[in-house]
Amino acid sequence: MARVFVTGMGVVSPVGIGRQAFWDALVAGRSGAGEVTLFDTSGMDRHLACEVKGFRPRDFLTAAEARHAGRCSAMTLAAAREAVTHAGLGDGQIAGERTAIVIGTTMGEANLLGELESAWIHEGSEAVPLAKIARYGTTLLPIHVARAFGTRGMVQTLPAACAAGNYAIGFAADQIRAGRADVALTGAAEILEKLEFAGFVRLGAVTPDRVQPFDKDRRGLLLGEGAAIVVLESEEHLVRRGGAPLCEIGGYGLACDAHHITRPHPEGEGSAHAMRQAIESSGIRPEDVDFINAHGTGTYANDPIEARVINEVFGGRRVPVTSSKSVLGHCMGAASAVEAIACIQTILTGLYPPTMNLEHQDPECDVDVVTTAREGKADVVLNNALAFGGYDAVLALARPGVLPDEVGMP
Amino acid sequence: MKPLAVTGLGVVSPLGVGREAFFESLGDADAARERAFGGEPTVLDPEKIPNARAAEAWGFEASDYLGPKGLRNFDRLTKLMIVAAKHALEDAGIKRDGEFVASSSARVGICSSTAYGSLDAITELNLVAELEDPRYINPARFPNTVINAAAGYVSIWENLRAPNVTVVDGNCGALDAVLTCDTHLAHRRGDVFLVGGGEGLSEPLYVAFRKLGIVAEGAETCGVHLGEGAAYLVAERRDEAAARGAVVRGLIAGYGTAFEPPLSPAALVHASADSVRRAVRAALDDAGVGPRDVDAVCSAAGGLDLVDREESTGLAAALGPDVAVAAPKLVYGETFGASGALGMATALAWLAGKPVAPLISGEPPERVRTVVVTTVGFYGNVSAVVLRSADEGSP
Repeated sequence: MARVFVTGMGVVSPVGIGRQAFWDALVAGRSGAGEVTLFDTSGMDRHLACEVKGFRPRDFLTAAEARHAGRCSAMTLAAAREAVTHAGLGDGQIAGERTAIVIGTTMGEANLLGELESAWIHEGSEAVPLAKIARYGTTLLPIHVARAFGTRGMVQTLPAACAAGNYAIGFAADQIRAGRADVALTGAAEILEKLEFAGFVRLGAVTPDRVQPFDKDRRGLLLGEGAAIVVLESEEHLVRRGGAPLCEIGGYGLACDAHHITRPHPEGEGSAHAMRQAIESSGIRPEDVDFINAHGTGTYANDPIEARVINEVFGGRRVPVTSSKSVLGHCMGAASAVEAIACIQTILTGLYPPTMNLEHQDPECDVDVVTTAREGKADVVLNNALAFGGYDAVLALARPGVLPDEVGMP
Repeated sequence: MKPLAVTGLGVVSPLGVGREAFFESLGDADAARERAFGGEPTVLDPEKIPNARAAEAWGFEASDYLGPKGLRNFDRLTKLMIVAAKHALEDAGIKRDGEFVASSSARVGICSSTAYGSLDAITELNLVAELEDPRYINPARFPNTVINAAAGYVSIWENLRAPNVTVVDGNCGALDAVLTCDTHLAHRRGDVFLVGGGEGLSEPLYVAFRKLGIVAEGAETCGVHLGEGAAYLVAERRDEAAARGAVVRGLIAGYGTAFEPPLSPAALVHASADSVRRAVRAALDDAGVGPRDVDAVCSAAGGLDLVDREESTGLAAALGPDVAVAAPKLVYGETFGASGALGMATALAWLAGKPVAPLISGEPPERVRTVVVTTVGFYGNVSAVVLRSADEGSP
């Protein structure tokens, strides 16, 4: 059974492009929120979101790549390039059949679809721009990456709403453990889009000002966007090429609430199951977990249930908890991948990034919320993702050498 | 992979609802094609889309199978998927009259493919947002715009609490869902999985493919013959299926996938014979069978010459020139993310001794015990699955 290590990471986020800019902003608590510029929100009741600013595809993509790639694919590929370089993998080193590409998302190239539909609705099918049809498919997210690195194996997209990043990383790690791949480029991507924005506003889920996870006055989430990719390698591949691990992928837990398409299960049954499964399949016990990157959306529905589940799983032990969404917004499908990068940085630096805007902690959210960057033990970190449709996915990440041999075993 | 037992099948397609209706239609290609493509599609407005030709699930009313309540906010894809899932679970003896009679809610999950999700749901909301006001869009319909919402609704409707995974890989997703299912069964994240997928016919889908100039406008015309449907197989670990005395309709024995980029970086859409060859060989290796063991292929050939030629070349390279190759999509249409699911359903019909037509090469096999199912994407992606008779290999 192959152990699986993260050897490189790349991120395009609302608070910075590239892992260092991202991490600096996260630790400083510099929010990515601002007025929406990507589309007109004047007819809507909310106007703030966490956009990725200053992203120019041609800084990262060749001309041919940029011509084919939508904004979501372009961010994915930019993050993948950073990750592969970070891993010290040169040109062609991961080409071939033994590298898998597994990308999570919620809506993929949603803005292309929006533009196609807008043309169709206002001007009829004659006006539908042909080139954008071919560029739309959600299938393309991993395919652009495969083309860029010359990989010839698995190309898969896992749309799992806000849990997509953990779904993708966990599944890719499974494939390496099963011997179906030596290397995987995996993570997730999401872009901000008008219909998505309007829908979340209509659901009453969007805050008019700031995201306040676990605060009794919290008023909802802000939508974000971005992409994050990690390079996963089997231990054998890593040793053979003489690379260095950043962290190890532990187990992960999946469950489905089967309760409601947008609301979490009132008792958090699926979330608890997924957290326990992530711990058990890592071959560790709850007391081994040092830090939790919470789903922490800042919505009325999520936070108290997540807090209750954390207390239930850890038997009242006060595990430090942070919601990066107070800084990043909710990057939807990309969220748990972007936050996985934060988890890895926590393991590397021993620093828990802060949850911003917590002023009056909700007694219903009685967990140890980290409100200023804090140093602490970071051998094992949990990354929570609790999504639309009752999709619960929790991933364990660990300092190399900490987890027992049976990690991730079937 | 260790062979998985297939203990149930649910199908909604232009050939009817249920396993029997599907199996019995496949032998007579002309009659089946006439049934599938013989009407004026009701889901496409003839004023907006004149002279449309497509295979829809004719007369499909979800309420006939699910009752009248709770369906109001479901889109077409969701309904197709739920009905197929319900049939599959009942066919497998997992559920009866809506109740679990084997396994349990916590141990049954779903691995489901779709290529385009609920485009009609997105259009419905965009029409309101663009022509009226984004503040008026129906919040109860908004979740349907998310690609994995339809599978999410299957879990809610059938109360499936083991992992729920949606896979997108264009035309290949439903075969990739087999790998997902195998992975989660191996890790015991569930004991029973629905594996397959669905795709709904919709105006935006039709407009897009017609605009691309690749919709077949007549039975003999080159191009994609658009269809729709949903199919789920019920897959379990083989020893557990035997222990509960389930009827095993076949084994999922192997999976393979491959990707080849086009020679020119300027190209985006393309198909690759080498991808087909590699995916099929990988699936055979995974199943531990040789090319000579393969009795028949349920191919992805759907009428698009560019793609079909590459597939034929790749199949011949992997399996030799004589193997019987069927092209059932010429009968029930191209269903993209569902096509691998309907392909596996067709393979199960073959394993059950039913005739399958039309063949595009080879002779009708006397006995079918091992079938390769292929799916070919539009970007160089290919996946393949090996299905075998229930009594093949040691349990």
